[in-house]
Amino acid sequence: MSGLQAVYFDGESTDGQPVTLELDARQLLHVRGTGCGIDLAWPLVEVRVSERIGASRRRLYFPDGAQCETADNDAVDALFEGRVPAASWLLHRWESGLSYAVAALVITVAAAWVAVVWGVPALAKQAAFALPAATETYIGRDALATLDKLVLQPSKLPETRQRELRELYARMTSGIQGAATYRLELRQGGRAGANAFALPAGIIVMTDELVELAKDDRELEAVLAHEIGHLRQHHMLRLVMQNSAAAVLIAFMAGDLTSLTSLAAAAPTMLLQASFTRDFEREADDFSLDYLAKRGIAPEYFAAILRRLEEKKRPGRKDGASDYLSTHPSTRERIERARGKI
Amino acid sequence: MSELYRPGEPVKLQFTGSASEYFRIWIVNLCLSVLTLGIYSAWAKVRRKRYFYGSTLLDGAAFEYTGNPVAILKGRLLVLAVFTVYSLAQHVVPLLSLVLALVVLALLPWIIQRALQFNARNSLHRNVRFGFNGGKMQIFGVLLVAALLVPVTLGIGYPWYLAMKRRLFVENSRYGSQRFAFSATTGDYYRGAMKISLAFVGFLAGSIVTLGIGLLPFYLLLRAYAEVVLARLAWRNTTLAEIRFDCGWTVGGLFGLYFVNALGVMLSLGLLVPWAAIRTARYKLERMTLQSPQGPAKFLAAAADDVGAVGDEAGELLGFDFGL
Ligand SMILES: [Zn+2]
Repeated sequence: MSGLQAVYFDGESTDGQPVTLELDARQLLHVRGTGCGIDLAWPLVEVRVSERIGASRRRLYFPDGAQCETADNDAVDALFEGRVPAASWLLHRWESGLSYAVAALVITVAAAWVAVVWGVPALAKQAAFALPAATETYIGRDALATLDKLVLQPSKLPETRQRELRELYARMTSGIQGAATYRLELRQGGRAGANAFALPAGIIVMTDELVELAKDDRELEAVLAHEIGHLRQHHMLRLVMQNSAAAVLIAFMAGDLTSLTSLAAAAPTMLLQASFTRDFEREADDFSLDYLAKRGIAPEYFAAILRRLEEKKRPGRKDGASDYLSTHPSTRERIERARGKI
Repeated sequence: MSELYRPGEPVKLQFTGSASEYFRIWIVNLCLSVLTLGIYSAWAKVRRKRYFYGSTLLDGAAFEYTGNPVAILKGRLLVLAVFTVYSLAQHVVPLLSLVLALVVLALLPWIIQRALQFNARNSLHRNVRFGFNGGKMQIFGVLLVAALLVPVTLGIGYPWYLAMKRRLFVENSRYGSQRFAFSATTGDYYRGAMKISLAFVGFLAGSIVTLGIGLLPFYLLLRAYAEVVLARLAWRNTTLAEIRFDCGWTVGGLFGLYFVNALGVMLSLGLLVPWAAIRTARYKLERMTLQSPQGPAKFLAAAADDVGAVGDEAGELLGFDFGL
C-alpha cells in the first residue's frame, strides 16, 4: 500500500487539501497533506468507506465528519480489503461484467413476466373470492349505471318476450348452485350492438339486438350460461383488480425508470390484458358447454350464435359493432372447441 | 484546488459517467427491484443518484448524494398506501376518498417542504451540504396561486406561478451557510412565456402542414425550446454570493439530444434508457458554467437537522426540484 492520492475536506468549509493516505503496520490510516500541514491518523476500523459504484468518486469518512474524496477505486478496495460488506462487494461484481448484466436482463424479464402473467392474476383471484359481496355489488351497480348513461337504452322488446326471457333465465339459474343472486337485465344495445356481458355483483346484461339475432332460445341459453360462467368466477372484478394491480406493480418496480414509467407502465398491461381475457373466455365457454351437456342441448347452438355474431361483425361495420367479439378468442377457435365437445 | 475561483474565468461542470457502465448499474437495479417486488427500488434510486452525483465534477471535486434508502422506502410505502386506500375508497366509500384527498391537500405544503429539505440536505459538494429553508406558508402561497389563480385566469397566471415557484425554490436554497439569490422578475417570465406561446403556434402550424407526420419532431422541438428559455431564465438570474451561473443549452442541441434519445429508446424497447440518461446528463451538465469575478471565495458549512424522506416521492411528482 504505497500512498493513495485523495482530497481532504474537513466538513467545515469548502477548502480542499490534496493528501496522501497510508496505512501503517498498526492499522492506523495516516492522512498527510502534500502541500499543507495536515497530519492525521485514524484507526482503519473507525474509517467508513462509500460503496463502489462504477467509476464514480469514492469517499472515506472519518469519525470527526471530515472526508477524503478519490477517483482511485482500486486503491480504496485494496486498502479496505476484507472490510467492505459482502453485499456491497457482490453488487459491484455483478455490475462489472457484461455477461452478468445480460443475466440480470434475462432474470428481470422472466420475473416481470411471471409476476404479471401468473402472480397478479392469482392474487386477484384470491382477492375476488375473499372480497365481501357488498364491495362487488357496489362496483357492479356503478358499472351498470355508467353503461346505462353512456351506451344502453331500456329494452324495446315486447313485454311478453321479455317475460319469456326472464322465465328462461330463472329456469336456468334455479339449477345452478350459487346463481340465485344473479340478475338478468335486458337493454337495447345501441352502439354496443348484439352483445351480452357479465358485470360484477352478478348482473348479466343482454341486448335486444342479440335476442333478435338468435334463431332459437337455446342459442340464448348458451350465451347466458357463458355469462353465468363469468360471474361464478368473478371475472370482471378480477380483470379490474388485475389491471390496476399490474399497473401499480410495474410502476413500483420500475421506480428506477423515472420519466419513462408513465408511458411504459401502461403498455405491458394493455398487451397482457388480451391474454387475461382469453383465459377468462375459455373458462366461461367451458362452463357454458358443461351446462349445455347437462341440459341435453347440442353445443351446435352455441357454435351457431357465435358464427352469426361473427358474420354480423364482419361486413363493413367497423368498431363498436360488437365489443363482445373483440375481447373474445377467435370465434373459429371457439366454435371448434364447442364442436370438440360433441 | 481553487480553479473555480480564478477571477473572471468561467468553469464548466464535468460529467464522467459512461453509458456502458450505467447500463450495468441500471439493469442490476431493475433486476433486484423486480425480484423484491419493488422494495429494492429505494436502494436502486440511491445507487443511481450516487452514481450520477459522484460522476459530476465541479472544479475537480465530485458531488455526493447521501439519501438514506430506508427513509425513501418508508416514503414510498406511505405514498403507495395512501394511493391504494384512496383508489379502493373511491369504489366503496366515496366520502372517505374525499376526506383522504382533503387531508393530503392540507398536508401538501408540509410534504413538499420535507421533500425539498431531504433532497437538498443529502446533496453535498466538497463535504458541505446544500440546504433548503422555505417555510410551509410560503409553499402554501405558491400552491394557492397554482390551484386558484392559474385556472381562474385560464392559464394567464401560469408564468406568474412559474416565477414564484422558482423564486421560492432558489431563494430558500443554500450551499453551506450561503443562500442563493434570484433576480428574475415576473415580467421576465411573461416575456419568456410569450416566446414559448409563439413557438407553440409554430408547433401547431408545423404539425398541421406536415399532416401530423411532424407531430413528434415538432413536439420535441417545442419542448427543447421551452426548456432552453426557462433554464436560461432560471440560471442566468441565479447567484451564489458573487458566483454567477450560465446555461449554454441550445434549442438545436437539446432537440437533437431528445430526438436521438427517443428514437434509441423506442427502437431498443427501453434497453437504451440508461444510455439516454447518460447522454442527457452529459449534455445538460457540461453546458453549465460558473463564474466568479471577484476571485477566491470560500463557503462555510451550516449546522442543520436530519430530515426524513416522507415527502421525497411526492416532491418529485410535483416537479419541485432543481430541474437540471
Ligand atoms: Zn365472455
